[in-house]
Amino acid sequence: MSILLDETNRILVQGITGHMGTFFVTDARRYGTQVIAGVSPGRGGTSVDGVPVFNGVATACRETGADTAMVFVPPAAVRGATIEAIEAGCRLVVATADELPVRDAIEIRAAARAYNARFVGPNSPGLISPGKAKMGFMPSFCYRRGDVGVISRSGSLSYEACKRLTLAGIGQTTVVGIGGDPVKGTTAAEALELFHADPETRAVLYLGEIGGSEEAAVAAYAARVDAKPVAALIVGATAPPGKKMGHAAALVGSHADSHEAKTRMLKRAGVQVAAGVSDVVKSTQAALAAARN
Amino acid sequence: MMILEYEAKDLLRSAGVAVPDGSVIRPGARTLQAAARRIDSYPVAVKAQVRSGGRGKQGGVTRANDAAQLRAAAKRLFATTFSDEQPAALLADPWLAIDRELYLSVTVDGAAEGYVVLYSPRGGVDIESGAPPVRYPIGVPWRFRTHELRAILEPVEKDFQVRERVISLAQRLVETAAARDCTTIEINPLARLASGELVALDAKVVYDEWGHFRNRDIAEQRAGIRRRADRLLKACLDMQHMYVRLDGDIGLISGGAGMTMAAMDMIRRYGGRPACFFDCSPGPTSTRGYRPAIAMLDADPQVKVILVSIFGGGTQMQRVATAMKENMPMRRSGKPVVFRLDGTHVDQVPGILATFGARNHDCLEDAVREAVKLARRA
Repeated sequence: MSILLDETNRILVQGITGHMGTFFVTDARRYGTQVIAGVSPGRGGTSVDGVPVFNGVATACRETGADTAMVFVPPAAVRGATIEAIEAGCRLVVATADELPVRDAIEIRAAARAYNARFVGPNSPGLISPGKAKMGFMPSFCYRRGDVGVISRSGSLSYEACKRLTLAGIGQTTVVGIGGDPVKGTTAAEALELFHADPETRAVLYLGEIGGSEEAAVAAYAARVDAKPVAALIVGATAPPGKKMGHAAALVGSHADSHEAKTRMLKRAGVQVAAGVSDVVKSTQAALAAARN
Repeated sequence: MMILEYEAKDLLRSAGVAVPDGSVIRPGARTLQAAARRIDSYPVAVKAQVRSGGRGKQGGVTRANDAAQLRAAAKRLFATTFSDEQPAALLADPWLAIDRELYLSVTVDGAAEGYVVLYSPRGGVDIESGAPPVRYPIGVPWRFRTHELRAILEPVEKDFQVRERVISLAQRLVETAAARDCTTIEINPLARLASGELVALDAKVVYDEWGHFRNRDIAEQRAGIRRRADRLLKACLDMQHMYVRLDGDIGLISGGAGMTMAAMDMIRRYGGRPACFFDCSPGPTSTRGYRPAIAMLDADPQVKVILVSIFGGGTQMQRVATAMKENMPMRRSGKPVVFRLDGTHVDQVPGILATFGARNHDCLEDAVREAVKLARRA
């Protein structure tokens, strides 16, 4: 199995007529993803690559049975587009956009919660369930089907880590990019709960960074008696305190945010912590070995 | 994006928060004379306007008892740097008789899924060494409930009049943070005067820069950062690159914040030192942004080697390789460049790099090792 996304998700693309939208339609379908509708206000009645385009999400869902939304609209339009999809009944809404004001992320998260929908993003590469479906631009060759669940705060780091896993013969159930912003649609804690409930996932690899409080949630999960084994990589050991490292949340503000403090906390909770990206395979193998015992 | 104290106080004033009636003094004699004329009672607190913290401990706040002392303080403060930052202005606030210093802030917190209010009955410069502030998680701004905050304040703030004033102030700060795209509004100290009135003696506001499209103040702050940047950095900021200067000699050009930090960490692990955090994610369609990035590192005397490490998904690698091919002949610097490109369409990369005599490293370890070696030799 996988979490959140598999071959049964019926996906509509908001902003399908833009650059990112059209690129996604081709790439995701080649991977086997069911892209069945597009939304682009004012362009209803046209089509992109054979995919019918509608003016609104509710109509698109009614006409095509779409239940999942991929959002490629400019940052100023993300709040409106995601909440439209949530209120139209989509169970999963993914918005990869960066540059989204945090105030909007707060509101989208609250709307998803009220409608019992799942929001992934913002500032995220999206997610992929290898061999089944992808919602994002991740390079497909970096992934293979398997039994490790991956959670990442960073897009390209997840490509790098998953390529290493795949080359070592370690496949993935689902790879979720939770994003680099302080308020997330799906947190590390929530992604861990989903992997915990997924019978096929035997171990979890968490890719984190300095700043923020996600890593505390990972440590709390790993310390549970019934937890699945967790491996982790925390980047940013060389980042100076008080400077924002690209991601809004990647800032060492207090001592608890530092690389050293996070690494120590995770190790104490029994997490296999990689010393660097070079050791991601070794740490994941150790977690898988623990899963066999 | 932190703004200056006097700008933060303007924002608070517009939200109905009491702030001292101060005068802003800019470099040059004219505004100093105007301020001296305007100030009708001394002493005043003269405060350097800088974005970095710890100003008070570095002598950035001083007391002036008359116009002569004000002029002397202005001369001294404008000539001082605070954590490498020269004051953009000074703020002369009336010296108020304070009964007690409190701490109040509103900030965004992932665990709270939105905004939180933090309060301590003992504020001031040593806030971090005292008992931690009490915390009221709100989430969405319209979830603020006065009775919930009251219940949280009751055990720590015994003066009910202060408590009620803090509650109404906190509600205004939450509304302001949400409406004006602030990720932090911190008042420390919030002063209780003998009259019972609460006045924001200092203020720290951090704007969410991505609110720029709906907030003119934020757009102007962004424009100010570009104005203060030199020509080369400005070209990079125009491409939305994220740049933080570090003290090493390996100029890393990377894509994605996490991958950039992973490469920085690996450079150190192999005995080298990164010269920068430089996230040049160009998005899936444009590769124009690499030119200013390379130009800036070429011009930086601290940089001995350039390491281009990109793992692209939406960023297609044959486009990146082609951009590099176009950029290399335009360089006047002979600094070596090491490449490690991987991701979408990486199969086309070696052929493109070969046309200008470069080679692609298959894995990050090899590229980093090579860059460290070249940096040592330089």
